[in-house]
Amino acid sequence: MRVLLFAHLKDATGLSALEIKVAGTLDADGLWNELITAQPGLARFRATTRLARNSEYATAQTRFTDSDEVALIPPVSGG
Amino acid sequence: MQIEIQLGPQPIDTRRALPDEFRDGTGALAEFSGLVRGEESGREIAALEYEAYSPMAERVMRELITELGRRHPCRFVRVTHRTGFVPVGAAAIHLMIAARHRAEAFAMLTEFMDRLKQDVPIWKRRALSREEFKARPNP
Repeated sequence: MRVLLFAHLKDATGLSALEIKVAGTLDADGLWNELITAQPGLARFRATTRLARNSEYATAQTRFTDSDEVALIPPVSGG
Repeated sequence: MQIEIQLGPQPIDTRRALPDEFRDGTGALAEFSGLVRGEESGREIAALEYEAYSPMAERVMRELITELGRRHPCRFVRVTHRTGFVPVGAAAIHLMIAARHRAEAFAMLTEFMDRLKQDVPIWKRRALSREEFKARPNP
């Protein structure tokens, strides 16, 4: 699974993207566990970061698979 | 309603006209430019750097305008958002909204800007001083 990082999440990890291996399907909690295992520095941003799957915001019903492109969306500030 | 979304590093031409096909029947043309101010958090700056998750930002903006258009029917909406380095005084965002009457054009404009700042994945990445702006990569 390709995971994209933006804004200060890039600074915190030093990465603009990371690859993780996901078996089967995961809900948001399961995905966060995988992400934090791969990059422990993401843990403190979990409460303020939204997940997007294939360019759409995830909902409580969203399930993630290895072929998805996931984005971590910190609070936005456009305009 | 026709929607045009443009997102990229090129300077925004805020004088672009309404497409000719929307002139007839349009009674209200609302435009808004969001400019970079010369100070950020109390310090003097020369530019802001914007970052976007472009495919999603374009998709979310289009969905937002479509949703708002059900309550505020407009004829044409163009949103242009600049990314990368935007110098002080330049537009980071420009909206053009054409509608039959001003009420729906104004409502679309204000509600879109409010939602943009909640949901569209675009970030003010950092504020640059005059020295930092001069030393930026690929000026």
